Amino acid sequence: MAVLGSTMYLETRRYPKILYLVVPLAALVLQAWLPRVLGQYAWFDLPLIVTVYFALGRRSPIQGTFMGAIMGLFEDALTHRPLGINGIAKTAVGFLAASVGVRIAVENQTIRLLLNFLLSLLSSAIVVFIYRILLGLDLKWQWLTELYSAIGNSLIAMVLFPVLDRLQVRD
Amino acid sequence: MESFFTRYRNLVVLLALLTVQIIGLAVQVRRTAEGRSTANTQDAAGVRLIRLWAQGLVSPPEKAAHYITTSITGGWQNYIDLRHVREQNAQLKEQVDRLRLAQASLLEDARQGERLQAMLDFQHRYIYSTLPAQAIGSSGNVQSHVFYLDKGSNAGLKPDMAVITAEGIVGKVRDVFPNTAQVLMINDQTSGAGVILESTRIRGILTGNASGQLEIVGILADERIKPGERVLTAGGDLVYPRGLPVGVVDKVVRDPDRDAFIDVMVKPYAGLDRLDEVLVITSTQPRFSAQDQHDIATSEAVKGEEAQAIKDQLKASEIMAEHLPGLIDPGLPADKQPLLDDSNPNPVSHPPQPLHPDRFTPGSNDAATQGTSTGQTPPQAEGASKLALKPPAKTQPKPGAAPAPASTGTQKDQ
Repeated sequence: MAVLGSTMYLETRRYPKILYLVVPLAALVLQAWLPRVLGQYAWFDLPLIVTVYFALGRRSPIQGTFMGAIMGLFEDALTHRPLGINGIAKTAVGFLAASVGVRIAVENQTIRLLLNFLLSLLSSAIVVFIYRILLGLDLKWQWLTELYSAIGNSLIAMVLFPVLDRLQVRD
Repeated sequence: MESFFTRYRNLVVLLALLTVQIIGLAVQVRRTAEGRSTANTQDAAGVRLIRLWAQGLVSPPEKAAHYITTSITGGWQNYIDLRHVREQNAQLKEQVDRLRLAQASLLEDARQGERLQAMLDFQHRYIYSTLPAQAIGSSGNVQSHVFYLDKGSNAGLKPDMAVITAEGIVGKVRDVFPNTAQVLMINDQTSGAGVILESTRIRGILTGNASGQLEIVGILADERIKPGERVLTAGGDLVYPRGLPVGVVDKVVRDPDRDAFIDVMVKPYAGLDRLDEVLVITSTQPRFSAQDQHDIATSEAVKGEEAQAIKDQLKASEIMAEHLPGLIDPGLPADKQPLLDDSNPNPVSHPPQPLHPDRFTPGSNDAATQGTSTGQTPPQAEGASKLALKPPAKTQPKPGAAPAPASTGTQKDQ
């Protein structure tokens, strides 16, 4: 298959160092600010999209894990929920995305869209698992909203990933 | 050993990070006496520090974005519209907001006054001092309905202060940072507010559901609850003062977990999705301004004068009553009674005396006096007028006595 390849032949992307700070920060700020404008139709998770993008591009599970953990913890810190719920979910997502990126050529838009959709649902599933099983907290859940969020994340990723691709450092 | 960590370092890092976060979560959640898990309401120092960092990182760009957008839109509108009219309009809106608050409070007070027939110390209730604030950001998470204000502890905000708009309640301050404050909205699942239905006076707890809608839970099925009924704060939760508008009943659904209970879905008055300016109730203690004090003193003085005037009128009427003649004076003989006074322009009319006394005339018929029938039927017209003069005690049977047999008169004749 064209999308499959050995680790040795897959390109590891590099970006300006400032981008590792600015893009996640912008994602966190917009995630906190846009729902005020869009109301209940804010069906997206920008920190998750950014985590997936850098994990796929860098193809480093450790970097993806750390990126997911930091983004998730900061996301948790802005809520009133316990710290670590989104942290654990995005840690797992970052690790998985990077692990997939090691094995698959992820420049294909269809693969990116599919990955974002699946990883968004996985993140939601992990959050529910932590809430209900791990912590035993009483939390009502609507999977339809999570499905909308997964679709929203996929569509935003389709637009955002090519823009971020242009910012990478080329030799 | 070294080769193991080198070979599986990705997994080791993953497991280490997951373990640290799981332990951190375990610290933040505790078990209640009923055996249920619940998140700590008060953050530990370490958790609070992380939240403070996150806020410090996110809130400046949020404030900048908020400032830029409001400046652009505000500047444009100011150039387009008439500036003074807009300023005046803003002042009037603030005044209307204050009056709406006062009206809501007074209405609720008045209703209770009608029920209890007493309005005591009403001036000591519902006098708030509020602080206006701007909503600058949210949590960005659908499972956490919180938003941030551009004012914090430096402006005097404290946890558990109620946050409202002119339309209705919004939430309460959950956490306070130096320049920002986190507000837990009423439509969050962990939120709770005591509410009362306006007309049926049914009380319940208002909370949010999974989709961020408001619902009153813990209410027994009651057919009186109809859509459109107003919902007000009950005032027993020590956060929201009594009588503030919350919303209207949208629909009533059965509680999926408990058969006898219902969930009352509430449509909030305040636009919870797009909040901009809010008011934080910083004090519910009575604080009267100099003008308020003057108005109350004037009201008390006027009330005292009116009460004295009513008392004087009552006294005068009693004196008049003593000097006016009564209808029956026990100290006078029968022919001297005021009723027989010829000077009365409206004398009492007596029944006409019969021209020819007969057996129906009072005192002329022994049988009638003894209560027995004579067996003769008097003429109808004449008898009717004379029966009116007959003493009623002698024509009516005693209460409880057996009715006289129909043949009594016949037997007497025999």
